[in-house]
Amino acid sequence: MLVKDVMRSPVVTVGPEATLEEAYRLLLERGIRHLPVVAEGKLLGIITDRDIRLATSHLNPKGPCPTCAKVEEVMTQEVVTAHPLDPVEEAARVMRERKIGSLPVLEDGDLVGIVTGIDLLDALLRLTGVTEPSGRLEVRLPDRVGELARLTGYLAGRGVNIHSLLSYPEDGDFVRAVVRVNTLETHLLAEGLRREGFDVLWPPKKPW
Amino acid sequence: MVIYRDEYRLYNFGPDHPFSPVRLEMLTSLLQALGVWQPPHSPPEASREEVLTVHSERLVKRVEAASRGERVPDLEHYGLGTGDTPVFPGMDRAARVLVGGTLEGARRILSGEKRVLQLGGGLHHAQYDRASGFCVYNDLSVAIRHLTRSGLRVAYLDIDVHHGDGVQWIHYEEKEVLTLSLHESGRYLFPGTGHVHEVGRGEGVGRKLNLPLEPFTEDESYLEVFEALVPWALRAFRPDVLVVQAGADAHYLDPLADLLLTTRAYERLFRLILEYAEAFAGGRVLLTLGGGYSLDGAVRVWTLLYHVFHGLPLPERLPEGWLLVWQERLGRPLTPTLHDPEAPYPGIPRRPEIEKRNRLTLERLTELVSPYLLD
Ligand SMILES: [Zn+2]
Repeated sequence: MLVKDVMRSPVVTVGPEATLEEAYRLLLERGIRHLPVVAEGKLLGIITDRDIRLATSHLNPKGPCPTCAKVEEVMTQEVVTAHPLDPVEEAARVMRERKIGSLPVLEDGDLVGIVTGIDLLDALLRLTGVTEPSGRLEVRLPDRVGELARLTGYLAGRGVNIHSLLSYPEDGDFVRAVVRVNTLETHLLAEGLRREGFDVLWPPKKPW
Repeated sequence: MVIYRDEYRLYNFGPDHPFSPVRLEMLTSLLQALGVWQPPHSPPEASREEVLTVHSERLVKRVEAASRGERVPDLEHYGLGTGDTPVFPGMDRAARVLVGGTLEGARRILSGEKRVLQLGGGLHHAQYDRASGFCVYNDLSVAIRHLTRSGLRVAYLDIDVHHGDGVQWIHYEEKEVLTLSLHESGRYLFPGTGHVHEVGRGEGVGRKLNLPLEPFTEDESYLEVFEALVPWALRAFRPDVLVVQAGADAHYLDPLADLLLTTRAYERLFRLILEYAEAFAGGRVLLTLGGGYSLDGAVRVWTLLYHVFHGLPLPERLPEGWLLVWQERLGRPLTPTLHDPEAPYPGIPRRPEIEKRNRLTLERLTELVSPYLLD
């Protein structure tokens, strides 16, 4: 999954000369929180609802006046951006590390989209396959060649379609695999997997 | 009135499939052996047009083609030909026979019958455009639509262990249909939906209620939240009729899920459902079967349902002859009494935590829907 698959476009933008009030109204009307600031096709900065609220709060008496101060006085410059072909996990990592809520997406210097935290949550939902009717299996595998293939091979042999498969490293040389399968019979699958020697964490084994 | 015909058993995905017609064969033979079986009313099968009141034409076309043994390249896209819902010759008609039974129940209610028990159907996973989870056509929704088109307000109650997703989505934007599903949490269990925050859309907002329960929920906790939620919702909604999917797969013996209801809880549930129908729906109630994959458990649960429905005294032991025949045929012992033994499974250490979480879920649900439901 790439940034271009989850980004929003076209992007709502604002000019540097717009007043804070105009920018805030735009944010409210469009129900968004991030506004790239663009002049002559070039990205100059980005301004968020939070930037405006902090700048114009009554707790900040020296702050700029909302109706006369311009966006360019408050916006963040040197914006962190993404490319449409960046993997989504790369975008997520940059946003997490820099503690920012969105990434304008640039291609050859042009603003072609924007990715926000919400878009990444949507991506996560799609990655986990929860949007399809399915049951969920969780299996702990030794972190070595062929284990995941053994798991998916078993499911294929039972005629079970896999909607999604996530795996992530665990402590102690294990990999945790979370599989969403198109079947009501996850319990019977789990029993079969246990008989094959798999460490199935969910569904749990009934104690009788 | 009881609705049933032997052709229900044509709905058969093969010998190793959990949704087995053997359940109906066991159930009806047990009721006969107990001497309580009365000749049921035999319904006509539903027509193609009746199925199309809730399903897309393109789904129906594929079911028909697959049913004739034709190769359909995009079958899986429609939820068919999968491990759960394989195709078999005559599938379209077999599914329409089940739909016909539930629809006939709706017709009977409209012509003045109070209580109808349909000994089949309950295919609550089938969706507008897709078969799913053993369910080809949604008999419940066809019946519900027939009732709402005749001007009735319908409360749908689903006690199957799985979320009643098909019925919920088909009526998701309808104001005149209240859906209420109690099920094991979809965090792990098929179909993965049925969260408290799925409350309906548009005109249907606040009219779709989901109570996802913790795995290993037992009788007491289930009944506690059921008795708090269901009469509350019905009193607010004021339905004309109650449609109930009485799946038996929340029973502790069920191989596909993890709720731990015993027959004692089911007896209480069935009595409460009839009471609620009297109190909140003018006595009108249409009950269907549903999931239930432990032959031993499901058959006893539905035998209980039949007795409670008719107000019959409950037998203690099951007839010896019947037990002998079926133990021989299945090659394993069966519970010899109608009710489960006392304390049938070891204690659940997490019980207090489970009870607490279920109460919390109920609280979240009522907070979410009360502003809408009470208008
Ligand atoms: Zn079920």
